[in-house]
This record gives sequence, C-alpha cells and structure tokens, in this order.
Amino acid sequence: MHLAQSKTNTREKFFVAGITIIAALSSLLLIAVVFFMLQESLPIWLDTGGFKFLTGANWRPVAVPPKLGIAPMLVSTMWVALGALLIAAPLGFGCAIFMAEFAPAWLAAVIRPVLNMLTGIPSVVYGFLGAAVLVKFFEVTFDLASGESLFAASLVLAVMVLPFIVANSEAALRAVPAEYRYAGLSLGVSKPYFALHILVPMARKGMLGALVLAFGRAMGETMAVLMLAGNTLLVPTSWFSKGEPLPALIALELGSATPGTLHYQALFAAGLVLVVLVIAVNVIINIILRRTRSGVNSI
Amino acid sequence: MNKRNLTDYLLTGFFWVSGLFILLVLVAILAYLIWRGGAFINMEFILGSPAGYPLGSEGGIFPAIKGTLWLVLLALIFSIIPGLATAIYLSEYGRNQRLAEPVNLLVQSMTGIPSIVVGLFVYALCVVKLRWGISLLAGGVALSLMVFPVIVVTSRDALLAVNDNYRLVAKALGVSESYTLWRIILPRAVPGILAGILLALGYAAGATAPIMVTAAAIIASSSGVLLEPVMALPYHLYILFNEHMSLDNAYATALVLVLMLLFINALALWLHSMQERNNAR
Repeated sequence: MHLAQSKTNTREKFFVAGITIIAALSSLLLIAVVFFMLQESLPIWLDTGGFKFLTGANWRPVAVPPKLGIAPMLVSTMWVALGALLIAAPLGFGCAIFMAEFAPAWLAAVIRPVLNMLTGIPSVVYGFLGAAVLVKFFEVTFDLASGESLFAASLVLAVMVLPFIVANSEAALRAVPAEYRYAGLSLGVSKPYFALHILVPMARKGMLGALVLAFGRAMGETMAVLMLAGNTLLVPTSWFSKGEPLPALIALELGSATPGTLHYQALFAAGLVLVVLVIAVNVIINIILRRTRSGVNSI
Repeated sequence: MNKRNLTDYLLTGFFWVSGLFILLVLVAILAYLIWRGGAFINMEFILGSPAGYPLGSEGGIFPAIKGTLWLVLLALIFSIIPGLATAIYLSEYGRNQRLAEPVNLLVQSMTGIPSIVVGLFVYALCVVKLRWGISLLAGGVALSLMVFPVIVVTSRDALLAVNDNYRLVAKALGVSESYTLWRIILPRAVPGILAGILLALGYAAGATAPIMVTAAAIIASSSGVLLEPVMALPYHLYILFNEHMSLDNAYATALVLVLMLLFINALALWLHSMQERNNAR
C-alpha cells in the first residue's frame, strides 16, 4: 500500500515538473523569436545605422551600394492601419452599443456567432474579394488604370478588424453595472442619450483597448495589404496613393533575398520593427486594461 | 419634433444600421462567392489535379486540399501537447507560482505576433539554417508556432471555467491531484478544449503568409513527404488570382476554403456552447 502510494507520488511529481518545464519553455518562444530576428538583423542596426534604416526614403536592396530605408513602408503600414481604424471604429462601436443596448435578444444571439464566423474567414479570401470586387469597382467608377491604393487596403482591413472591435467593446459595455442603467432610465433619460453619455464614457477604457488591439492586428496583416495596397516603394502622399506596408515587403522579397546579404538582413530588421511595434501596442493595451480589470472606469 | 427627439432617432438608426451591417457583410461574402464560384464546384474540381496552361488555369484543387490537410495535421501534432501542458500548468498548478505571470503574459502577447513574422523566423531557422528548404515540415512548424498560443489560451480558459467547487471537494476528500485533473477537471473541459483546437485548426488552414515563405509551391503533388514543398488552398487561391490564371477557379477555391472553415468554426461554436451548458450545472 505504502509502496504503491509513493509510486504514484513520484509519477505525479514528474508530471508536474514536466508541465512546468514545458510552460517555462513555451514562454521563451516569444523571446526567442525577437532575439533571433535581432541577431539576424544585427549588421543593419550596427553598420547601416538604425536611424538611417528607419528614416531612409529609398529601398534599393540590390543596388551597389544597396540603399536600405524603410520609411515608405513604415508610413504605409501606419497609414493603412490608422485608416482601417478610422472606418471601422464608428461602425464597430455602433454595433457594440447596438448589441449591448438596442438589439432584441434573438438578434444579438444571431450577430454574435456571425462575428465569430467573420473572424474565421481567412485573410487571403478578404484580400481576394477586395482585389477582385472593390478594386475593379474603383477602376470602373473612377476610370483609373489600377484601383489599388492604401484606401482600398484600409477598407478591407476595416471589415477584417470589425469583429474584434465589436466583441471587445461589447464586453466592456456589458461590464457597466446595471444600477447605472436603472438610475439613468428612471430619471427619464432617453435610451440613445443614456448609451452615448453614460454607458460609453464608463466603458471607454475597454473600448479604447478594443481599438488598440485592432490596430495591432491591422498593422501585422499581410495578405490583404499585399493584394490591395499596390506595392510601390514610394512614400505615400495621400490615402489614395499606392504603398507597400512592411508585411507585404517581407512576403514579397524574402524568397529572392540571398541569405547573408544586406538585403536579407534588412528584411529581418523590417520584421523586428514590425514585431516591436505590435508588442508595444500589446503592452500599452495591457497597461490600460490592468488599471481597470473589467474595462469599466470607476468615477 | 424637437431637436432632442431627432438626435435620438438618428442615433438609434445609426446603431441599428451598424448592427445589421455585420450580418450584411457575412451574407454578402457568402452569396457573392456562391454566385461566382458555386457553379464550378463539382467532383472533378475537388478530386482533380491542376491542368491547362499555365498549370492551374483548369482542372481541380485536390493536391491543394491534401497539402492543407498535411500542414494542419503537422501544426496540430507539434502544438497540441505543449499547448495543453502549458494550459494545465497555468490553470491547475501555476496559480500561486511566480512563473505563471510571465508565462501568461508572454503567451498572450504571442497571439499578437503578425503571421508573416512567424514565417520570417521559421524561414531563417528551418529553411535556411537547418537546410530543410521550402518544405511541408517547415510549414508545419510555422503554423504550429502560430496556433500554439491560441491552443494555450482557449484550453486555459476552458479549464478555468470548470467550477472551482470540484477542485475544493476533491482536495477535501483527499483525492490525489493527478486523479482530480484526469478524472474530474479534464473531462469537464473537453468540449472547450476541443473547440479551441478546432479554432486553431481553422486558423492554420486559412493562414497564407507563414506558409507562403516556408512551405508552399505553385504546383506540387503534396503527397506528404516532409522535406518537399506542398500546395495549399489559401496559397493556391492567391496564385490563381495574382498570376491571372483563372478567376473562375479562384472563386471556386475561395468558396471551398470558406465553406470548410465556416463548418469548422460552427462546430467549435457548438462545442463551446456545450461547455458553457456543462458549467452551468
């Protein structure tokens, strides 16, 4: 009896030790990815210079000597992502308020799985539909030679991040204590007034978090921007010019860059910039949300 | 009508419109894909190989379906066990340990890594350094890195959702920790964990960027040889459209891919609701 007991005990200890080690290792994955990218791109930061790399307006990686500046792609990335938020935020917040306050229960129960299904559609399908339908539409309507633009990419990205904005904002809105609803409505305030002037201000941190999360997604999205943004290496001058965001640059050029060359290293430096941007966004959202765990402000 | 009333009507209208817009998007996408692609889907298309010139402008997509299945299978093989182990650690053993917080934070942040960066990492490590070349194996590794945090987070939440009273009672009755875990906690979390795995599966099947640089070829037999490139549905769609091979086939491929993923997603949602019903008890 005693023997059997100690045997299971040892087995249990092994099991716990095993999963603890796996958990510790798995948390190292992210650090390993970042470190590896840093190591691969080190010559860019040390020899070419980080500032020159980030602000250089010319990308001619195979010229002699190569010119490696990612400013056009950085600007494109930001422009596309911010543009997507500009379009998606009003609709997303509107839909979240609708689901939390206005929708009949059955309709909200229909919309919720639909949001899930929309996130399940792969980005290449969004990119394909955008390119085959939207870009065609722009070309025909505005008589353009090619309808690809940062705007087209933003539009499709907006649809892609919409479900995230809705789901997270709705959660924040629902976390507002019910007493405020009773108090507000019993004072004779109309429902839209209540939603806009009481509910939203109370949930604003959670809603901001939803926006920041969507921003991170939009920056890192590859296929849609690859198929829609037009892929030119010039610094974009308006929402309607073409551009090539960082993910598209990496996807397009990685296969042709010879390992060990400056071109190859520069692509890893570009990847590192992208990761750092996205992680920074993640950290910011964590700080925002940590202060108020439910996403609701106390007054 | 006074001004206040008008604003209220306009706002209410806007809220309704934005809510219904979401429904419209899904319906529009599905209807359009079915309209443009539905007629081209038949047994020949599903079970045939790419044909015509350039190769792929006619014929079917069977190798792409096979390739996607292989990639997803590898991704799940590589990620399920470490993912579940990490989730069990976080929900059952790490609650009071100092290690748990950084693990939680880092895994959570991992969900935000852009998929192309995962591709970049695996390209440098597996394709170049380990000399695997563009291969099924490298693609499987890339996809597993991408879905690993998804599996951890969903399984962790499924485990945490199990009523804490079970843990308390088991402990009070002197039941061993491993018995509690395997016989009491895990069975109750199975639907949620399965839902998470399905979600990961769908995520991996639709991912294009990471396999584009690590595994995908325009034409391949996709017979499951680990060190050979494969075809994959999402990449095939990209090529069909981008290289102007065949718009009809592109629509049909997109429809097959979307229907597959929506089915998986619906299954995951159903399992998830089952778990919630379980927990209500």
